[in-house]
Amino acid sequence: MLGLAPQAASATGVTAGTLIQNTATATYTAGAASGSVTSNTVTVKVDELLDVAVAGLTTTPLAIGAANAVLEYRVTNTGNGPEAFNLTVNPTVAGNNFDAVVQSIVVDSNGNGTYEPGVDTILASGSSTPSIAADGSLKVFVIVSLPAGATDGQSSQVRLTADAVTGTGTPGTAFTGQGDGGGDAVVGASGASANGLDALIASLASVSLSKSATILDPFGGSKAVPGSVVTYTLVATISGSGQVGSLHVTDSYPSGTTYQANTLKLEGASLTDVSDTDEGVATGTGIDVNLGSVAGGTTKTIKFDVKIN
Amino acid sequence: MKARLLVALIGAIIASSAVPAAAVQAAQPFELVSDVKVDKVTMADGKEVHSLVEPAVVVPGDRLVFSTRYRNNGAVKAENIVVTNPIKPGIALASDGSNNLDVSVDGGKTWGKLALLKVADGQGGQRGAQATDVTHVRWVLASVAPGASGTLSFNAIVR
Repeated sequence: MLGLAPQAASATGVTAGTLIQNTATATYTAGAASGSVTSNTVTVKVDELLDVAVAGLTTTPLAIGAANAVLEYRVTNTGNGPEAFNLTVNPTVAGNNFDAVVQSIVVDSNGNGTYEPGVDTILASGSSTPSIAADGSLKVFVIVSLPAGATDGQSSQVRLTADAVTGTGTPGTAFTGQGDGGGDAVVGASGASANGLDALIASLASVSLSKSATILDPFGGSKAVPGSVVTYTLVATISGSGQVGSLHVTDSYPSGTTYQANTLKLEGASLTDVSDTDEGVATGTGIDVNLGSVAGGTTKTIKFDVKIN
Repeated sequence: MKARLLVALIGAIIASSAVPAAAVQAAQPFELVSDVKVDKVTMADGKEVHSLVEPAVVVPGDRLVFSTRYRNNGAVKAENIVVTNPIKPGIALASDGSNNLDVSVDGGKTWGKLALLKVADGQGGQRGAQATDVTHVRWVLASVAPGASGTLSFNAIVR
């Protein structure tokens, strides 16, 4: 059993195994005498109530792009005895635009509320949590990725279900002798099963590239003759709510032309031809501008000149 | 066996020396028998059916019915009878019907109807007492004739 961080008690009920004892006393007079008497003591043993609650903790849909998203849930043992719960994740929920791909289910082993890969314990789907104390709760992380075919702005929900390991069923179902504290275990109002939903929204971006050219011939006109300078303009348009990563814009010079040194520009600012700290490189065969990570809704304009041989 | 005989002898000696309280103690003319049942609710034809059953399975939220049967086994009338029952921490007096009982919310020091009692509100003031604040219930009986009996009961909810 893993140690779980203490949680604020919410007083779910008398702890399973508690003995409630009752004795009445009486005083009286009889003639000139007075007396007192005590009844026998009756004892009731409190059995284990199996109850659970699950809450999805994402208040607004979590954006998911190319990287995995971490959904957070809280599983609370609302019963009155320590109990472990089998966890299952179902990414197929009515109304989904896409069904997320479940990568792993992770319990917050050290109770610090933060997903720590390699520290927190990964659970196989359908396997059980460590025992959770009565009134205690456990944070659960579900790691999901976007399926192929999902498009920007699509929404989805992912359901986490927790079932008491001792058993589930209609409220009142009893599991004889299986309760904590030596009594029975009895299914509570939750049916000893609960689920919660977290929402996702696909946040993707796409890139379109357009290319245009203007020509300045040696005579001040715009004819494509030897000696004319052709200025190419490449416009990268990034659209969508997400961002694209590692975006490179490359182009190669047309045959029969020669790149004009130090004419490479990004957003009007000159870039050196050599590979250095700026975004651009111009070699003997083409240009390469590394735009890195770019958010949707932006455009990047690149220009360079070649001379017709 | 010897010890018990000795106790019986001492009892007889005290009785013969006519110390009134001890005489009553030895005779135990007034008897109390406690019992507890669970009020199980089942649904039949859309209606709630209550049945009192042995407390084999009890969970928080269940309703328990504690009863005390009294009987005057003596030869003289018992008078000024006060039967007291503490409410243990694991249970709370059920709110329905609680106003008909004589209750205490201070460990048995003062008594009254629940609606008239007050408890500290934890903020320096006082608030009206609730059924869950009750620490004791009691019944005051003016007299019970020799051979007469009756049953006193209260309902409690397992916390």
